Amino acid sequence: MNELSRAQIRDLMAQVLKNQDKELPADDAAQLREIGFRSLDFSELALRVEDETGEELNFDAPGLRRIATVGDVLDFLVELQHQ
Amino acid sequence: MTVATSRHDAPAPAEPAGVDNRLVVGGAALTWRSLPTPALPGPAAVLAHSAAHALTAARQHAVHGTELLLSTASRVDAAMRTELLEAGFTVSVLDDDGVHPSAPARPRAAEPGRLWLLTSGSTGRPKRVGHTLDTLTTVRVDQPGRTWLCPYAPGTYAWWQVVTLSLTQPGQHLVVVEPDELDDWPSVAAAHGVDAASGTPTFWRRTLYRDADALARVPLRQITLGGEPVDQAILDQLREVFPAARISWIYASSEVGASIVVHDGRAGFPVDWLDRETPGRPTLSVHDDELVVTSPYHGAGLAGPVRTGDRVQVLDGRVLITGRLDSDEINVGGSKVSAGVVRGVLAGHPAVAWARVTGRRAPVLGRMVVAEVVLVPAEPASADTGVPDEAALVRWCADRLSEHAVPRRIRVLTDIPVKETLKSDV
Repeated sequence: MNELSRAQIRDLMAQVLKNQDKELPADDAAQLREIGFRSLDFSELALRVEDETGEELNFDAPGLRRIATVGDVLDFLVELQHQ
Repeated sequence: MTVATSRHDAPAPAEPAGVDNRLVVGGAALTWRSLPTPALPGPAAVLAHSAAHALTAARQHAVHGTELLLSTASRVDAAMRTELLEAGFTVSVLDDDGVHPSAPARPRAAEPGRLWLLTSGSTGRPKRVGHTLDTLTTVRVDQPGRTWLCPYAPGTYAWWQVVTLSLTQPGQHLVVVEPDELDDWPSVAAAHGVDAASGTPTFWRRTLYRDADALARVPLRQITLGGEPVDQAILDQLREVFPAARISWIYASSEVGASIVVHDGRAGFPVDWLDRETPGRPTLSVHDDELVVTSPYHGAGLAGPVRTGDRVQVLDGRVLITGRLDSDEINVGGSKVSAGVVRGVLAGHPAVAWARVTGRRAPVLGRMVVAEVVLVPAEPASADTGVPDEAALVRWCADRLSEHAVPRRIRVLTDIPVKETLKSDV
């Protein structure tokens, strides 16, 4: 199965922000609220991961969780690819 | 050879008023009168092998009143064929060798004068809607002489509109293009002096995209759009190529007939047309964002207000028809987005020739707006302006739409997709 690494997902996340003239900090602990990464951006990133891998993500599988930092986003999407 | 077509007597055969109008089919010049006159056992479901065979069946109906459902083999699948045989139709393939009938499963008496349409299927499974030549004829006042292009699939509502015009009015000639000639229609049309053409917005976009110069060589004086939502961008593009032509858009369906005709070159219709009752004219209203039409040209059994399933939005004093109710609305995290409105914004980008907007499953929000576009072929002279990339198109939308309505993923296709009905399912 075609799977993206955490670094590759980070590149895609940077792209989502760059298209809005925003920058992705290097620090995984950076707060999403502070960098202006919102639910629409999160959804876009998930679609970009799907388009890169050609596989659908199973969004329902992992249940709810708190996603507050850049690291949370990356962890979540890495994990989703295993579902 | 003329053969009576029905055991059930139709009125004495009389040729329609347009019988000597010119027909160009597959490059050959004919008239209605010169078409063959095969016997069609009624009630007849005729699967026409080509455009000429479809015209033959239409003329037979006009003369003899044979109960008729006209279509093509590709639009009638095995299930529909069985349904027609069960409903008492003799299903006949009509080709150069004549009529090849299959007997009905439950024979019944024919209903002289009845014409059946199969709806295009954009509403789901095709269904039969009953009409007559009279209810299908919406242009009744004398028209200036025109040579019309007929690009539509035989037996569809739009096809009958062009065909009844030519059958009933002298001076209304037809140039019919077969599906395999469709991409090259401007050269066929220019060669045969076509000065009026009716097509879907997808049909016009494809033509502009493929060869706008060839289109400009067709001496069009009347341009008609219908069958799909009509946005301002396509009207403006056609106006640029044909500054002097009358450009009209028509809202019509098998169910309610031609109900809205707009000639002012703008998308939508004036809001003060709503709820206006004029004898003999359709009444238009809106209920819960849905267009409701009460029409004198309705199909059999469809008197009174008909919910059209089309979604409308009032913007700047105009009522815009944005798309089908069941597919136009995209719910993005609780915000309702009209795919048609987003499509209009994308189509308004100077480099976009065609756009389709849909909802795509996404985390957190449930659905997200995504799009596919076909770009205008790049002209070397304007290379400095560059071809817009996804980010540029997203920014174009972000400047004009609420943030939930902005398509975040925009895929570029290399050609405009089109179905036999000349629609794109946008």
